[in-house]
Amino acid sequence: MMSEKEKVTPAEFIKHHIYDIAAYAGLIVTFILFLIFSGSRLSYNMATVLQSASTYSIIALGAVFVYSMGYMDVSVGQQVGVYAILMIMITNAMGGTAAGVVVSFLVILVLALLCGAFNGAVAVWLKLPSIVTSLFLMFFFTGAQLLLMESTGTNSISIQATIKPADRGMYNVMLIVAIIITAVIVTYFFKFSKLGKYTRGIGANEVTTAQCGVNTTKWKVIAYMAFGVCVAVGSFIMLTRTGSAGKGTGSGYAMDIMICLILGGMPLSGGMKSKVSSALVGTFTYVLLTNDLTTMGVDLNMINFVKAIIFIAIIMVTCRKRDAVLPR
Amino acid sequence: MKKALLKKISATMLAGVMAISAVGCGSGGNTANNSSAPADSGTTSSDSNTASGDSGDAESAPAVEGKDCTIGVAFYTDTGFAVDSTKAYLESLSDTLNVKFTYTVLTQTDEAANLTKIQELISSNVDGIICTMDLGMTSIIQECEAAGVYLGGYLCDYDTSYNTAYDQVFKSDYFVGSAVDGQSPDAVTIGTTMFDSLIEYNERNADAPITHVSMAIFPVWAFPTQQVGAEQFVAAVEAYNETAETPITVDPLNEESDVLAFAPLDTTYFAKHADSQAIISFAAGSAFVYPTMVQAGVDSSMKLFTTGFDGGEDVNFGTSGNGTYQQIMVTAPESITYPLVLLLNKINGVSFSDQPAEAERVSSAQYLVNSDEDMASFQKSCFFTKDAANAMYTPQDVLNMTAFGNPNATYADLKGILSTMTIDSIK
Repeated sequence: MMSEKEKVTPAEFIKHHIYDIAAYAGLIVTFILFLIFSGSRLSYNMATVLQSASTYSIIALGAVFVYSMGYMDVSVGQQVGVYAILMIMITNAMGGTAAGVVVSFLVILVLALLCGAFNGAVAVWLKLPSIVTSLFLMFFFTGAQLLLMESTGTNSISIQATIKPADRGMYNVMLIVAIIITAVIVTYFFKFSKLGKYTRGIGANEVTTAQCGVNTTKWKVIAYMAFGVCVAVGSFIMLTRTGSAGKGTGSGYAMDIMICLILGGMPLSGGMKSKVSSALVGTFTYVLLTNDLTTMGVDLNMINFVKAIIFIAIIMVTCRKRDAVLPR
Repeated sequence: MKKALLKKISATMLAGVMAISAVGCGSGGNTANNSSAPADSGTTSSDSNTASGDSGDAESAPAVEGKDCTIGVAFYTDTGFAVDSTKAYLESLSDTLNVKFTYTVLTQTDEAANLTKIQELISSNVDGIICTMDLGMTSIIQECEAAGVYLGGYLCDYDTSYNTAYDQVFKSDYFVGSAVDGQSPDAVTIGTTMFDSLIEYNERNADAPITHVSMAIFPVWAFPTQQVGAEQFVAAVEAYNETAETPITVDPLNEESDVLAFAPLDTTYFAKHADSQAIISFAAGSAFVYPTMVQAGVDSSMKLFTTGFDGGEDVNFGTSGNGTYQQIMVTAPESITYPLVLLLNKINGVSFSDQPAEAERVSSAQYLVNSDEDMASFQKSCFFTKDAANAMYTPQDVLNMTAFGNPNATYADLKGILSTMTIDSIK
């Protein structure tokens, strides 16, 4: 084996790792542009990039389990919105105490696990593409979000507890710690446990994985539940940014997460080439790209247009299955 | 295999070219707009003389030239008469005030998204921000304080912040105050204004006066002043009826049909207000009421007194067309001068001698258009024409309003201009 490895030429190495090289090159280029164009606002911009990337990266890390199976979840944005509103309502109902924050987080954690189980199990039992069940959840949570906000009689509600350090430096440290802890845990389960091994196997070839004796239904449900945990943590992190939520909180997150993963080199069709690093590389590339386009003077309304073009180009370039352009 | 590779390369190249084009488009926009500054920027209009008593001094060179700076403007929508005319007005000021403007659009429902938009503006090196929405303001002002960027308000009463986060927002050194879209919540007069328009209509049409009206408002949680305005209108009608020969009936607000949850009026409205001859719409009538009137076929038989102007109302206004619209009401884009001047003062490190200690929200007079003559005047305004040449204030006037451009300029004068922006001032 070693001798075979030694024989790999640079050309072959590049050919086999072209997507990883492209993803890391994208991150390096966006980072260099970030350093160049941030000017006097470099330290401020670093903090804003970290704040923007924290929620995305934590949710994207969880999404690795789902995307590695070649599946996706379009309900994540609405889930984030409802979880944020619920956390505020429960915490405020408990007088804005620390206990209220803990209880509210546990409530949304349970909800997220249930939603994950629903997404994974119902799709299998009804033999539906998982995107269909996540669409159902998306519409369900959209309605729930509107109803919850209608019940408050206001456009937005704010949490009465202190969930964010007053010092910006401390807050940034808290975000970095949250990202690192999540990344370490996800990496462990994805690389060194059955969960990661089987989800990649399902993505590569579900029939073969099942014929190897793996209960694919069970592992699909577990993968979605693992994603749910990250969605719950991500919702809390998002809430710490503003301390408030409204009817539109979380909108667009599903697409943003997908873009982050794809930018990081995650194949839409899943499989054995799926990697945890895709979530972090892609998220920071995405957020840095947005920051770069802004500091470079691109009309803020044109940024989404530019991002959309880059997104479709990457999909066309990186899709590795002839007959599976979109996830299942 | 080669074909597939070619496709991938083509896709990448295409995206690259389009992205570069988009970048080019984006950066070119300001240049084009800047060149549209009026040539007569050195002149002083008579209106500004009224508003700023010291403008005569300022016909000479300004005391201090303003620093080069960039102001970000965060609108509530990306297009429309109010946005387009405001942009035209601001761009006309660019050269004289040494200010570049950059724009973004906020959302009405997502605080985190608004915070991100503001962070993007700050990242793009703006020195000040004018914000048209009060959503997520507590975290936004914290962001501005951290970055040393000043914030002002426009077309917004900042009522949520005023009532729930006054200390954090209005007492912040980085918040300069807001020019309200009409009356601030503690000085609402829109109800009596609507009533006056109705009476003026009846006086012009004594042979066929309107004797039965109904109302429409946006939800109280979003626009509490509209509820107050509706109550004010009802009170004014009741007072009028005590002595009137021909009393007016007002249908009480129906929660189901009359409170528009930012959706068009429901067609059941007309069944619930079968005798109504006119709708008094405190909500934006051209977007939310008129289309349903057309759909129900009542646009010829009913009148509409409303706020806002989206374009096209003039065709059916007063005695024109089917005469549906009998009143429209908008705020002059020039009212953005208030937060702009205060921001520029801060950026240039100066302040007025009579500058209040805490930021204020100041009511703006509005263009009240309720006759054919008013409409003719309105059609000459900067708002309608989207042409800064028709603005009430020239760039030099605005420079004269700043503390660095005119040492004799005062806060009282600046505040005073907001009350002069009426339809009569266009005449």
